[in-house]
Amino acid sequence: MAPEPPLLSMSGITKSFPGVRALDGVDLDVQAGEVHCLLGQNGAGKSTLIKVLSGAHQPDTGTIHWRGEPVTLRSPIAAMRLGIATIYQELDLVEHLSVAENVHLGHEPTAAGFVVRGKAAKASTAALLKRLGHPEIDPARLVGALSAAQQQIVSMARALSHDVRLIVMDEPSAALDPDEVDNLFRIVGDLTADGVAVVYISHRLEEIRRVGDRVTVLKDGRAVAGGLPAESTPTREVVALMTGRNVEYVFPDRPATQPQGTPVLEVQGLARDGEFEALDLSIQPGEIVGLAGLVGSGRSEILETIYGARKATAGQVRVDGRALRPGSVRAAVRAGLGLAPEERKAQALLMLESVTRNVSVSSMSRFSRAGWIDRGAELGAARAATRELSLRPDNPSVPIRTLSGGNQQKAVLARWLLRGCRVLLLDEPTRGVDVGARAELYAVIRRLADEGLAVLLVSSEVPEVLGLADRVLVLREGRVVHTAPARELDEHRVLDLVMEGSPAS
Amino acid sequence: MPEPTPFTSRRGLLFGAAAVSTGALLVGCTSNDSKDETSASDNQPAASDAPGKHVTIGFAGPQADHGWLNAINDNAKSRAKKYSDVSLEITEGSNDTAQQIGQIETLINKKVDVLVVLPADGKALTQVGLKAMRAGIPVVNLDRIFNSPQAYRCWIGGDNYGMGLNAGTYIGEQLKDTKNARVIELAGLDNLELTKQRTQGFDDALKNYPNVKKVARQAAEFTVESGQAKMAQLLQAQSKFDALWNHDDDQGVGALRAIEQAGRDDFLMVGGAGALSAFQAIKQDNGVLKATVLYPPTMAASAIDLARALGQGKGVGGLAEFEIPASMTLYSAVVDKDNVDQYMSTGFR
Amino acid sequence: MTQHASPPRDNTDKVPTVGQPPVWRGVFARADVRTLSLLGVLAVLILIGGITKPDEFLDTRNLQLVLTQASVIGVVTVGMTFVITSGGIDLSVGAIVALSSVWATTVATQEYGFAGILFTAVIVGVGCGLVNGLLIAYGGMVPFIATLAMLASARGLALQLTDGKTQIVTITSVLDLGERDAYVLGIPPLVMVFAVVTIIGWLILNRTTFGRRTVAVGGNAEAARLAGIDVRRQRLYLYLLSGLCCGIAAFLLIILAGSGQNTNGNLYELDAIAAAIIGGTLLSGGRGTITGSVLGVLIFTTITNIFALNNLQSDVQQIAKGAIIVAAVLVQRRTASTT
Repeated sequence: MAPEPPLLSMSGITKSFPGVRALDGVDLDVQAGEVHCLLGQNGAGKSTLIKVLSGAHQPDTGTIHWRGEPVTLRSPIAAMRLGIATIYQELDLVEHLSVAENVHLGHEPTAAGFVVRGKAAKASTAALLKRLGHPEIDPARLVGALSAAQQQIVSMARALSHDVRLIVMDEPSAALDPDEVDNLFRIVGDLTADGVAVVYISHRLEEIRRVGDRVTVLKDGRAVAGGLPAESTPTREVVALMTGRNVEYVFPDRPATQPQGTPVLEVQGLARDGEFEALDLSIQPGEIVGLAGLVGSGRSEILETIYGARKATAGQVRVDGRALRPGSVRAAVRAGLGLAPEERKAQALLMLESVTRNVSVSSMSRFSRAGWIDRGAELGAARAATRELSLRPDNPSVPIRTLSGGNQQKAVLARWLLRGCRVLLLDEPTRGVDVGARAELYAVIRRLADEGLAVLLVSSEVPEVLGLADRVLVLREGRVVHTAPARELDEHRVLDLVMEGSPAS
Repeated sequence: MPEPTPFTSRRGLLFGAAAVSTGALLVGCTSNDSKDETSASDNQPAASDAPGKHVTIGFAGPQADHGWLNAINDNAKSRAKKYSDVSLEITEGSNDTAQQIGQIETLINKKVDVLVVLPADGKALTQVGLKAMRAGIPVVNLDRIFNSPQAYRCWIGGDNYGMGLNAGTYIGEQLKDTKNARVIELAGLDNLELTKQRTQGFDDALKNYPNVKKVARQAAEFTVESGQAKMAQLLQAQSKFDALWNHDDDQGVGALRAIEQAGRDDFLMVGGAGALSAFQAIKQDNGVLKATVLYPPTMAASAIDLARALGQGKGVGGLAEFEIPASMTLYSAVVDKDNVDQYMSTGFR
Repeated sequence: MTQHASPPRDNTDKVPTVGQPPVWRGVFARADVRTLSLLGVLAVLILIGGITKPDEFLDTRNLQLVLTQASVIGVVTVGMTFVITSGGIDLSVGAIVALSSVWATTVATQEYGFAGILFTAVIVGVGCGLVNGLLIAYGGMVPFIATLAMLASARGLALQLTDGKTQIVTITSVLDLGERDAYVLGIPPLVMVFAVVTIIGWLILNRTTFGRRTVAVGGNAEAARLAGIDVRRQRLYLYLLSGLCCGIAAFLLIILAGSGQNTNGNLYELDAIAAAIIGGTLLSGGRGTITGSVLGVLIFTTITNIFALNNLQSDVQQIAKGAIIVAAVLVQRRTASTT
């Protein structure tokens, strides 16, 4: 044991919610100056643990020692006073306040106790932003006008504006581009060099390897492994710990023959000013086409425009040769398009409702006569659709919010399956889905294609596009720079293309 | 002639020697047998009918969202029309204090000769009354009184306390021979001071009749809807009582509806204010409503009379005074079957 | 409130009919607890009423009275529940009731008798709802603002129509509906209308595609749009529905008060919103319960009744009403969170 007590030591933490034991005796030691990574599937207890650590939840049992002293974290403010700051996945910034006001929210520099010294706040904010490698962010700008990545920097500046000893980062890289991730890691390095400890939560194993010192793996509310060396522990072992099974990052086999025949979806010269340029695309039934590109390359915009959620400024979308009315989601849905949007919770799910109702929402007319719903038929159809996708739990009456990310995504797919949709548009289908569940989701998508669906896939994870799609379109700044069968591409080639935009050599 | 009530004489003292509790001297008690449909005030004698110097009168009142307030506007308008030497500048009624202040300031800027103001809120409009007075425009304050006597030249209004007192006295007299008589009260909007004054007068009058006891009181909101709702509850609460006083004939429409719906006719009812529908019911004498105590909207016609006299520098006919009195409290007469014909034309819809 | 799943017709072969799983019962029990807590509050009130005024409170006539008084605001609250469930708000309900009731009782309208009054009340209500709906769904206005504007204009128009005067109804067939002679098996016609509106409202919200779309729009409008629901048209229909309820309520009020007055429906918007929220409808949308709303209305009406019977004055009534709103919501949150 180290002669000095760890900076933070949590032991035997339990926390129950009605019907769920979220934490079941978790131990966690964090040393000053280390990056301690937390790994686990959705629902493993990561979020609850960091909420306990940040004072947002009170543990039922267990002790927390801070620099060797027992402490109680009664509230987020109490945790902040000790020097524990948390940067949540959902950024908690006030959009209508300026950057400086957000950074100093709740502890504004004041004169005579109440007069806010705006200049001082701006100056210290500017210094913090510079330290974080983003001097270009103006402290006087409104946070709502910043990009997601910039907002995250502001959130981090807010954490650092306190005298912080430990920072909890919940999936900090989720919304970032590769170069921004590099900057993030540089910041983490600077912090740890100053003796600040970082608790780092991520789904991405490669990141954990790059930035982490030690790894604690959570499963079902327990720490199944604590303090593993981040660099040297084999992936297979980590995944096995998380899932309790030996699951590889497996992609399903492609069919032996490429699908032939008339395309079901044809896109001609589709464009939206400022977002993407004239796009031509056609997909045959049974084919998966991938769009690869960076954040801001126009991927999601293309999907939403095809779907009618955004109105095209030029071009046409045809399904089975018939042109769709531009800017009409209803026309697209009627023609057989289905979208699994990027922000599942915000754009696809009715979080207060059951799985059944989430699945049936696009096909209600099938179970109703004169508006009257036959709920037995509805439940049966929803059950059939969710079973086909092996959605767990096998009970479509449970509220959708109790499902894991992967199963929520399956519910969205089941919605379109039930609707009898012909073209599936998938935007980041595995975002927020843990590693173990991804392979299953990939298999489902491939199976749907094999059954004759046309799939258009967007993902920021290049291996996903390459592994799943038959054909890949590489996007850069709203323009297709390369098209090729997926098996003729590799990750480096695609990254070169999206960075450099050089055509095939 | 009525006795000056304690309430009015106190106000009279407060406002100095010129105050006169004139009672019904000026308005509202002249005989009137005319059955024509024009407004009540047309046939009442003016202070001095002979045309004199031309007077422009500015009139500002609250929004006429209630029968009584509507009657105030009608009375003022038709009274002014009667005089060839009066022109009336009337504003859009408003319940918004700020808006009403603005309207009165506009009238001041137009340099009207006299102002007649029925404030939405007397206290809040005191300042603008002062402003007019300082600008040399005499203000006739109608009914809802300003905070300061300096803000008006003459106040004329109803007597809320007297209304309750007279209602109580009438009911007491009717029930003189009833043992253990039970009385209930359907009050108006309870957050208004005038409602408290009416109730106070009513209670004070009932004290003179030891055999009469007030057993229940509920407050409605001067609306038909609330009158029906509260009366229905009162009827359920009191399976037997002898008399009911309802503060306001408008809400009385609802109260009578509730009484009809409950099929009750075992008591006598006295109303308040003096609506036409109440007068008609009293005259027909086939329901519970036997009388109503006045809160006469004709006060607006009298206010025009006073304003005209002020503008022409005249006094009031029938009084020895050279000047217009500073304060004038109207008498809340009891109208029952015997004298209802006399008041029929003053009833408002 | 039983939840019978009608037997699956076309897909019995595909779906094995296993018994309802326990989780399903959990969801059901949860909704039930909320209703039960409201029934508990009502039971406590009835107990208080029965103890303080046994003769007057526990009386058929009093039951008829309470239900009659609940009918007008109850019908308005059913419409309001739909609007709130969809994530909207309708501040204009009281004003629409006022406008409908005065338009339907003008001398000109009364010449057309019973049908004229009923027709006018309903059409004016629906018309106001249409304007609300168009402004919100297609004009892009925030419901709060659009219905606030409607509140002001409808009240103004009502005042203009009446000139501040009370319009007495002279059509005896209308008036008779408010009399005891019109009661069927002891049930006042107003209460029957209230019951029918409640049942239809419950069925629409819980058993039809319209209800589903309402919940979906309120739960997540963007998700509903991307799922292919015509969110704007749905919003239009919802405000139309609220206006229709106001028109029906106005007709009931005309029967009850025997007149039309521009002050009718005073603060109905607040009473209806309060009843819906107490009932368990989420102000943010996505969850609505007609049963809860109606219980909320009955709780309020019962409170008023008990206070009046005990001759408590309006100051005490208002204080207690506020306290009971807070207490009811707290009790509900506790019971809801422990299950």
